[in-house]
Amino acid sequence: MSRRDRALAAASAIAGVVGIGVSAYLTVVHYSALPLACPTGGVIGCERILASPYGVIAGSALPTSTAGIVWFAISAALAIGQLAGRDSQLVLRIHLVWSAIGLATVLYLVFIEIVALGAICVWCTAAHVLVLVTFLAVLTRIQTAGTQRLRD
Amino acid sequence: MGPVATVVGVGLLVAAFVAYRWWTTPPPPNIGTTDAAQVLATLTGLQPAELDQIGLGSATNSIKNVSGPALRGADGKPEVFYLGAEYCPYCAAERWAMIIGLSRFGTFSGLETTTSSSTDVYANTPTFTFRKATYTSQYLDFQAVETLDRNQNPLRSPTAEQTALLRRYGTGSIPFIDFGNRYSLTGATYLPDILAGLTWQQVAVALQSPGTPQAKAILGSANLITAATCELTGQQPAEVCSSSSIRAVQTRLGTGH
Repeated sequence: MSRRDRALAAASAIAGVVGIGVSAYLTVVHYSALPLACPTGGVIGCERILASPYGVIAGSALPTSTAGIVWFAISAALAIGQLAGRDSQLVLRIHLVWSAIGLATVLYLVFIEIVALGAICVWCTAAHVLVLVTFLAVLTRIQTAGTQRLRD
Repeated sequence: MGPVATVVGVGLLVAAFVAYRWWTTPPPPNIGTTDAAQVLATLTGLQPAELDQIGLGSATNSIKNVSGPALRGADGKPEVFYLGAEYCPYCAAERWAMIIGLSRFGTFSGLETTTSSSTDVYANTPTFTFRKATYTSQYLDFQAVETLDRNQNPLRSPTAEQTALLRRYGTGSIPFIDFGNRYSLTGATYLPDILAGLTWQQVAVALQSPGTPQAKAILGSANLITAATCELTGQQPAEVCSSSSIRAVQTRLGTGH
């Protein structure tokens, strides 16, 4: 694995770990009486998002952030696996599909925030940016690998 | 598709979401001082027969029984306490019913028109604010706290005692209304969508026709508030509390249906 590939895989792993932290914080707040640390004013309104029907996974009482924990944990595991030596094209392609699923979900959630609820949750936005970073890092590695194969 | 194209694509999509939201959000309606006074005169002058005819209407009977030491104002009269905020569309909806219901026991002054937040759900719902309102009644005391303006800037904080009422009898959500520690209401008793795109004058006109969705919801909610308040005032004034429809609504208070 080249130094650039290691850096990109490390970025994916760090994004995954930070994302687990953000999602876990939102989950803890959901199940406890802890106040949510979030600025208010204008379009910023975490409570408006998290207390809406979209704050839980459809058909369940589970907060949407639990899905974030699962997604980031699997993404981090895939990235750490690659850093630990499992640098196969298959693992990379699985990570690309996984991050594409994450990005599609993020776009849906951003649509809900802006169009349906008219507010932005900064914690959710942080998680969305981490998903985007993961997708970009994996996509860049896939493209680099493709270019390398053509050169070889 | 490369990383740059992905970032550009995501950016364009988010911009499209923002543009769509802006395009579909109704602008805040405008009203003059004279017109606002006329609307308030209409609200407080609604015919008792129309209120009786509607009964509970389409209002959601979400008033709950609570128990605790009687909540009384400074002069010893039973107190109705409201906690809300100007940005909140559900508060915007409920204030219409509160003004109509409580005006049957006393007189408001200082009510001003406003709309709920432009960026929240049910954006720009027309309403009145209790921010500078005072209320006089020989039967009860009314205290109102609007915590934030329509842009979520701070207005006023509830006292420690008022916060304790919210914690004890509410869920933490607004609007919260405490009827003398005998009944409490959290949230609105109807959805604000029936006020979407209407001016205050259009709402006032609609309230004068018992068949309109606005009359069924708002006057039904006003009757709920009236029924709960009559329980605090010892069924006074009799001309309000002894009506058959208010009596009927009273039998359903706290039952949830």
